[in-house]
Amino acid sequence: MLDTYAVLLILRIALVVILYLAIFRVIAVARREIKVVEHAPASITRGKDVVGHLVVIDSGSTPLRPGARLDIEPITTIGRSPTNTVVLDSTFVSTEHTRILFRDHSLWVEDMNSRNGTLVDQNRITSPVAVTPGTILQVGDVRFKFAV
Amino acid sequence: MIFRSRYRWTEMGLLLFPAAFLVLALLELELTQGASTALTRNTLPPIDTFTPAIGLIVALAVTHVLLTIFAPDSDQTLLPIAGMLASIGVIMALRIGSAPGFNAPTLGAKQLAWVILGLGFCVGTVLLTRDLRWVRNYKYTWAVVGLALVGVTFVNAIRHFNTNAPSRDVLAIGPGGLSFQPSELVKICLVVFFAGYLSENQEMLSVGSVSFGGVKLPPLKQLGPLLFMLGLALIIAVGIRELGLALLIFGMVLSMTYAATNRMTYVLGGLALFTVGAIIAFSVFSYARVRLQIVTNAFDPEVYPVAGYQIVQGLVAFASGGVFGSGLGLGHPTIVPASNTDYIAASFGEEFGFAGLLALLGLFMLLVFRGMLVAIRARDPFNQLMAVGLTSVFALQTLVILAGNLKLMPLTGVPLPFVAYGGSSVIANFIIIGFLLRLSESKT
Repeated sequence: MLDTYAVLLILRIALVVILYLAIFRVIAVARREIKVVEHAPASITRGKDVVGHLVVIDSGSTPLRPGARLDIEPITTIGRSPTNTVVLDSTFVSTEHTRILFRDHSLWVEDMNSRNGTLVDQNRITSPVAVTPGTILQVGDVRFKFAV
Repeated sequence: MIFRSRYRWTEMGLLLFPAAFLVLALLELELTQGASTALTRNTLPPIDTFTPAIGLIVALAVTHVLLTIFAPDSDQTLLPIAGMLASIGVIMALRIGSAPGFNAPTLGAKQLAWVILGLGFCVGTVLLTRDLRWVRNYKYTWAVVGLALVGVTFVNAIRHFNTNAPSRDVLAIGPGGLSFQPSELVKICLVVFFAGYLSENQEMLSVGSVSFGGVKLPPLKQLGPLLFMLGLALIIAVGIRELGLALLIFGMVLSMTYAATNRMTYVLGGLALFTVGAIIAFSVFSYARVRLQIVTNAFDPEVYPVAGYQIVQGLVAFASGGVFGSGLGLGHPTIVPASNTDYIAASFGEEFGFAGLLALLGLFMLLVFRGMLVAIRARDPFNQLMAVGLTSVFALQTLVILAGNLKLMPLTGVPLPFVAYGGSSVIANFIIIGFLLRLSESKT
């Protein structure tokens, strides 16, 4: 027959072992989850066709709120005319000012022969330029930052 | 994700661990308390009931079923981790409460009641935050609630300014000796408010527009709430002398700001402010000097009987546990003052040893890991920041109190999440778990 000391010793070991088993079990679950995520098709995660965001940094003379996030669609046009995807009501912005395109897994900014030009990271662009998150885009007197 | 059944099998499997722990721990407690072995000097009647274990297991199971119904897609590891920690808390309260000299046989039952209440609050949070947008829309209300709680504490602090109570942050409510610590709920309110503020001004803060001595800073309008939060932490430290809460708010603000802006400038600036504040506090307030003296000279024969007793006995408790501990129910944790609250880690360390403490730390690390994973997977900046803030509260609390117990920094009365005895803390922590569960649902 087991005496109290032996039972206590077994219980003591068992208690600490349970704690560690719980930890390893949670880690195993986490590993499995990460694998599932890796193998999941990427397409199911996108509901809307949004390929990025424009964040307003300086709203210039438009009523936009600094910090506002605007969706970038595969073809996004920016200008004063209401037909654009992003409408900027400012005298410094041409009716059709700038176009953002999604090609080859990258975003491209193209100037539409605007009067005041399109500035990417403060350089006036003449041909389409590929941009990454963090790039600063200036359209007339409005400044944006690209974000994911 | 596609072939997964809706039933939370993983969670159920993981919940078997706290259940097994509770049953075995109670068995051991019963043996050590009841049997007249040479190992024990316990004179109190043994714990001759398995009610605590069964009660907590049933409560966890009910929570599990409710989550299956109301939040089937939420994270399945959070409840088992929190449940495991809470089980340790209940067992330790039970064990310390029945120790000779402590004379509080109902301590374990009370802690059990708090945990069950906490699980109720957790499910309640999950139900109420079905649409997280209302939480965000009322962010100023949350800020006002948080400030009101701080204000109440502040008034209380002024009322008791001459008493030498170590914590001024306890409010007595009701006749039954029930008390309530407002700071526990302040944390949650401030995280919600700050997440709302940061998610709206994220870009402004990370880019900056006003150049100030070579460093680009955002305009005052955007910077205001950030400075306000840091000021609040300062007021709490000076006015209420609740250093732990101040550190918590400070650390939470810095981690959330860093997560939102990815700029080290804020963290470095915050740390510089902290250093300046610490130096000023050290030279102006005597209590700050005393706190530091306790840490540096606890073993001094003159300091030890006056102020060093607790911290030295805490270290002795850790040391006497050794690698494998004295065994649950076989140590003498009650020698250390506040063995069931501030020094719960020392009590646990004495009876479960270094091996047990390492496992406890592992559980907290997993909790933080899962919380940060929730943040990474969340879509919306507000949800992400809230998960970061709530998780950092767990991480900071654990670090601050464990470092205090181990004499690595001045001791501040922050409860070890889920494990330390105390109703407000347990309930607030389970509310945080409720928020994290809701945030972890990929749909939101």
